[in-house]
Order: sequence, then C-alpha cells, then structure tokens
Amino acid sequence: MGNAFRRSPWQIFGLVIGLLYGGFITVLVVGSLVAARLVPDVAATHSVLVVIGSVVLAGFALLPLLFGVDDTLDPREFALFGIPNRSLATGLLLAGLLGIPSLVLIICAATTVVTWSQNPGTVLVALICAVVVVLTCVLASRVTTAIAHSMLSTRRSREAGGVIGILLLVLIGPVLLLLVTVDWGRDGLGALGGAAGWLAWTPLGAMWSAPGAAAQGDWGAAVLQLIIALVTLGLLWLGWTALVAYVVASPEREQRSKDYHGLGWFDRLPGGPTAAIAGRSMTYWGRDARYWVSIVLIPVIPVAVVVALALAGLPWHFIVLVPLPLVCLFLGWSIHNDLAYDSTAIWLHLVSGTRGMADRAGRMFPPVVVGIPVLVVGSIATTIVFGDWAVLPSVAALSGAILVIGLGLSSISSALFPYPATKPGDSAFTQPQTSGASAALVQSLSFFAILILASPVLVFLVLGITVNAFWLAIAPVAAVLIGFATLFFGIWLGGRVFDRRGPEIMAFANRND
Amino acid sequence: MAEAAEPTTAQGGADTGPAPRAKRAPAKTAAAAAGTSTRAPRTRTTAAKPRQSTRTKTETAAAGAAPTVVLEAPKPVETRPTVLTISGVQKRYGDTVAVDGVTLDIAEGSFYGIVGPNGAGKTTTLSIITGLLRPDAGRVVVHGVDVWAEPVRAKHIIGVLPDKLRLFDRLTGAQFLRYAGTLRGLSAKTVRARTGDLAAAFGIEDALDRLVADYSAGMTKKIALAAAMIHSPRLLVLDEPFESVDPVSAANIIDILQRYTAAGGTVVVSSHGMDMIQRVCDSVAIIVRGQVLASGTIDEVRGEQTLEERFVDLAGGRKAAEGMEWLHSFSD
Repeated sequence: MGNAFRRSPWQIFGLVIGLLYGGFITVLVVGSLVAARLVPDVAATHSVLVVIGSVVLAGFALLPLLFGVDDTLDPREFALFGIPNRSLATGLLLAGLLGIPSLVLIICAATTVVTWSQNPGTVLVALICAVVVVLTCVLASRVTTAIAHSMLSTRRSREAGGVIGILLLVLIGPVLLLLVTVDWGRDGLGALGGAAGWLAWTPLGAMWSAPGAAAQGDWGAAVLQLIIALVTLGLLWLGWTALVAYVVASPEREQRSKDYHGLGWFDRLPGGPTAAIAGRSMTYWGRDARYWVSIVLIPVIPVAVVVALALAGLPWHFIVLVPLPLVCLFLGWSIHNDLAYDSTAIWLHLVSGTRGMADRAGRMFPPVVVGIPVLVVGSIATTIVFGDWAVLPSVAALSGAILVIGLGLSSISSALFPYPATKPGDSAFTQPQTSGASAALVQSLSFFAILILASPVLVFLVLGITVNAFWLAIAPVAAVLIGFATLFFGIWLGGRVFDRRGPEIMAFANRND
Repeated sequence: MAEAAEPTTAQGGADTGPAPRAKRAPAKTAAAAAGTSTRAPRTRTTAAKPRQSTRTKTETAAAGAAPTVVLEAPKPVETRPTVLTISGVQKRYGDTVAVDGVTLDIAEGSFYGIVGPNGAGKTTTLSIITGLLRPDAGRVVVHGVDVWAEPVRAKHIIGVLPDKLRLFDRLTGAQFLRYAGTLRGLSAKTVRARTGDLAAAFGIEDALDRLVADYSAGMTKKIALAAAMIHSPRLLVLDEPFESVDPVSAANIIDILQRYTAAGGTVVVSSHGMDMIQRVCDSVAIIVRGQVLASGTIDEVRGEQTLEERFVDLAGGRKAAEGMEWLHSFSD
C-alpha cells in the first residue's frame, strides 16, 4: 500500500477517497458494535451480526471472482523466485492482510470483542473468533482470487465471468425492490432471526455466531460453532497451500478458439467506409463484454428511477411517461466515449484516411438499430398505460428527439473529449486507473447537454398534458427540428474534429494503453 | 540521398535513365502505376553492372508510360525517383528529443531498413511518416504529396504496419481484412478476392474464421501485414515486421516484399535485427538518439565491417564488461 502513494496524483486521490470511505465505514461499524454492547436484546444483536457477517465473508470470497482478475499477489508471479511453497503461502496470506478492505475488517472484527464483553469467557471466545474471522475472510478472498486467476485467465472464460456479473447486476433491481417492500419495523427482525439461526451453523456464519451464542449462555452451541469455524479455517488453509503448490508448478491455461463463419454484419451492411464502421460497431456490441454492461444497465436504470418515484408518492399516471425517454437518453449517451473503447486500434482509421463523418455516422448504427424498435414499442406501450392516445405523437417525438440529440452530442464529445475507458479484453467491471475528474466532467456535461437541448420538447409535452392539447401538436415539430439539427451538426462537427485531431486522438489512446 | 551519389558513377555512362527523366514530371498516378510496375528490380551498387542491359531496356520502356515524381531534393542526376522525402523532422516529448532533425530520401523500388537501438526514435519517425504522430517541425512528402498538408491523399499511397498497437481483435481475420480494405475504399468484391490471395500468401487460410484476439503474436503480425497491403499501396511502412514471426514465415514475407519492390513498390522497415536488414535491404539508415548517423546503400554504410559491427560502433560502442565479477562466482 505504501507503493500506492508513489503514483500519479489521480491514483493518490482515488486511494485517499478509498481510505476515507473505509475509515467512514469503520467508524460507523465500530460505533454500532460498541453501542450494541449496551443494547439489552442480545439475541437481536446476535442475529444481525451473524447475517451481516455472513454477507461480509461471502463478499470477500465472491467479489474477486467478478472484479479482481488482475492480481499482483498471484502465486504464479512468484514461481520463478524459488520460494518454498509453505512460506510463499504464509507470505501471500500476510500480504493479503494489508489493503483497505482487510484493515477495515481487522478493526471491525476486533471491536466485536467489545460487543461480547459480558464476561471473561465470552471475551475469550470473541477474541478467538475475531482472529478466525480475519484469517478466514482474507484466506477465502486469496483462494477465490487464485482460482479466478487460473480459471479466468483465458479471454473467453473471463468474458463468461463478466456475463455472470451482468446477470447479478440485473438481479440487483428485483432484490432492492424486495428489500424495500419488507416492512422492517414489523417483521424485519423476525426474518433476520430466521436467517441467522440457519446461517449460524454454516461455515459462513459460525465464526460470527459463536461469541453471541456464548453471551446468551448457550455454551454448547458456542463450542460447536467455534469448532465449525476452526475446521473451516483449517480446510481453507489446506486448500490455499495446495493451491499455491499447484499454481506455482502449472502453466497458464491454454484456450481453445471458436470458428465463426461468414463476415456477419459486414455482409449484411454492404457499402463504403460508413457501412464498414457500422458493421464493426454492431459486431463489437455483440462480442465485447464492455458493451454488454451498458446494454444491460440501460433498462435497469429506469426501473430504479420508477421505483424511487413511486416511493416518493408521484401518481402512477405520470410515472409511466418516464421510462421510455430515460431509456432513449441512456441509449443516445451510450456512445459518448466510443472512441476510447477502441484504444490504440483506432490507428487503422487514422492511417487509412477514414473521413471523420464516416467514422461518426458509422458508430451511431447500433444505438439506432436498438433505438427504433424500443421507440416504436415503447411509445405505444407508454400511451396504452397512460390511457390517452393523444399523447402518442409527442411521447414518441420527445423520446426520439432525446435519442437523436444524444447521438449527435455523443459524436462530438467522443471525438473532442475522449476519456480513459476500460481497455479491450479487460474485465468489463475494471475501471481505468486514471479516470478521475475529466471523466466525471465529460460524463456530466454530455449528459446534461442532452437534457438541455431536449428541454423545449419536454416543456411542450408537459404543457400539452397539463394546460392545452394544442402544445401536444407543437412538441413533435420542435422534436424533429431540434433533433435532426443536433444530429447533423454533431456528425459534421464530430467528423471535423476527428479529421483535425487524428494525431491527438492517437496520442490519447497511446497514453491510456 | 541514399541512392544518389554512387549509382551516378556506376551507371552514368551506360544508363539512358537521366535523358527521358525530363518527360516524367507531369504524370497521373494511374499511368505512374503502370510505368513503375515494369520497373527493374532494386539495384545494389555492386550488383548493378551485370543487370545494366536489362535495366536500361525497362527504363526506356517505362519512360513512355511516364511515372510521376516531383523531386523534392535537388539531386541533379538520380537513377531512381524519390518516393519518400523526410526533411528536418523533429519531435520532442517534454525535455526529451525523440527525433532530432531526421532527413532521408528514399528512392522508389528500394527496400529500406531503419535500424537503431531501443528508444532511438525509429517508431516515432515511422509514426510521423504514416500520419499517426504530428511532428514539431519538418516535412514528409510521399510521392509528391505532403503527409501533413494533404493527409487523406498521402495516406492512400501508404500501407502501414505499426508496432505494439492493438488491432480490432474482436473481428475474425476475414472481417478484419474486409474492414481494412473497405476503409481504404475497396469494393467488397475486390476485398474478397484479395483476402484469398493474401491468406494464401501468408499461410493464414485456416485462421480467417477465428477472432484475431485468439491469434498468436506471429499470426497477428501477419494479418496486420496483410491488411497493410490490401489496397496495393505504393509505399509500405512496416515497424518491426519480423518480430515474433517464425523463420519460415519471415522468409515468405521477405519473398513477397522483394517481389513487391521489384515491381516498383517501396518498403521501409524498422528492425533491430542487423542480420536480417543486411540480408534483405538494399539501403539502410542508422538512427541513434533521434539522429541519422549514417545512411545509404548497405555497402556504403557498412564499409569493410558487417552492418552489426558498424552499428555497434556508431551506437556508442560496446560497453566494457567490467565490475560484474560476482556473476562468475556462482551462488551454489
């Protein structure tokens, strides 16, 4: 971690933010753990701690599978140094204790001793369990990271991991919905208690549960759970040493590659450079996990917004108008950093003297292909749910205008202000190290510029619904005018920028590769 | 300037080249292509004499078709027209000067090697030629077109193989070639025909339906090289084309490139493999710390030494290997 300070300012900034965040969480958790000592309802504290603790352990074990394939502590890296396996395993485990998540965990686990300081007996159990907790969490994360590293070292399986991650993201929506609908005040603790009673006997919860059981005077359960925890730790340690020994002595996995037939989108889109770039973009949207993330997130975001609005108590009648324009907004915005996704491969466009306008227009093809059916189906569905066919043209016009304005502005911003993106072939969830402030600025600027340009149409639509139906007729006209003006201006200006700034775009790509 | 000085003395008497040259000035690209394709193979100064009769013949034949060349450097008697002129090119990154006034003239039909130690500015120079990097000063003229004044026209003349840049590797080999060809303005039909030829020539027929991301390093090099050639450019700029390519494929590629230069195309390669350069190139420039220390035909540059010895001399000589005695007292 000391090395982390010897890097670029933005990385230090990120690290400081991470430290602050970790510190904040630590203070919060330590505070509640100490406070929990004073709560008379020991059973409730016990269940809460077991459930949260199990989630933490699961997090340590599973997150590396999704995110952390890039691992500097991979045992294979040390294979050539000839370190004995046992000391390598111990060393890597100790190294795993450093780092923000582990430090937070160590402090929080230590504080559980305070929570269970009813008598010397419970303190002893809590102390043992705190050590077991820290070691188990770190070991679990090391084991899964090492497994992830050797299993996911091939491109295809790494992308499969990405797909699993995307599916999990999709599931987050319904889960959140479920959590929100539970009436916590009434049956929350009951549900927790049920889950805790079950988790306490699994390797996930046993080590969190033992001191609590002891504090409640159930020494038999406490000893049994302690044994479960110790056995878990022992098995993990054996697994870890075996894994280190295996990984150090085995080569990286080879991958088999798959055959594709025909030229796919290139044959479907005959024509010049613009068609070729459109075909290439379509192929990438289909094959590159980085694009899948945005495709999947686009429908998830409106769901979250709708839930939030419904909770805020807005009438359902108006909420139905929100999702479609929102989907179009994100669809148009999705290509605002498309150039950076190509990384240094963009040289091919530059050395072939590809016209900027062809490049800009071609990249718009996938969002347009996705956007048109979404627009047609979406505006009809919206109107049906809204219950008044008079709004159909203006709803379609507003959404279409947002999409088209988004595409036009994205085509300017991706040529003018590219910011570092996830590199080709990296996990779709890794963020580039130097995203920093420029990325946030470009993101928010390009995002709000779409909203500002689309706002007249929005105003006409709102006026039409609330004041006078006459405005509903104005909205489509305004939408077509503003939308297509922005689109063509965007393609033109973006193309010009691309033509002029070729070497600068190349330098940007080289810097961030 | 590589070819200028010596061929004059070697061929001045027998060669009728200089006479019809006056007619060549106003020329169209198409006519030029026809003319130069019948052009004689590259001539090394020492090897020039035996070939002179054939060379004279083709030269006269070619003269009718009037190849185009706008000569930048005022070389009064030059046997072959210059296709690439680099004059006073400079590039600095902050305090470090990557390229410090590089000036080179590269004649049509030559197989030109650019050699230099790591970090000497080879890739930077080549990036400037191909329009990927904007120079701080200097001019690059390709076949009469200034690369930085008329980039689109100039880029049409050049085929490029960059080093250590990514490819669009989520495309299959066939898709990649189609993409490169279409961006170069070729029709789908032409690309399909040339894809077959290129795949056969480079021995990558089996790999065309696989993703470029799954290729080995050598295969990636070959598909990129194929993409560089697909629009039949007049000038090929290849950065480290033989790196990680197996010897059989390398020999194959050299063969393809030599036939290309024989037909009037020009190849500029960078490499740090001296043997390779000495074997396949007819001319060479040694770049060290951003400056051209020597340039000309291979024989001019190397003199009595091998190219490698000459290179090591110019690049600062061998470091005396002292002070490493501990390396010879083995630790176990």
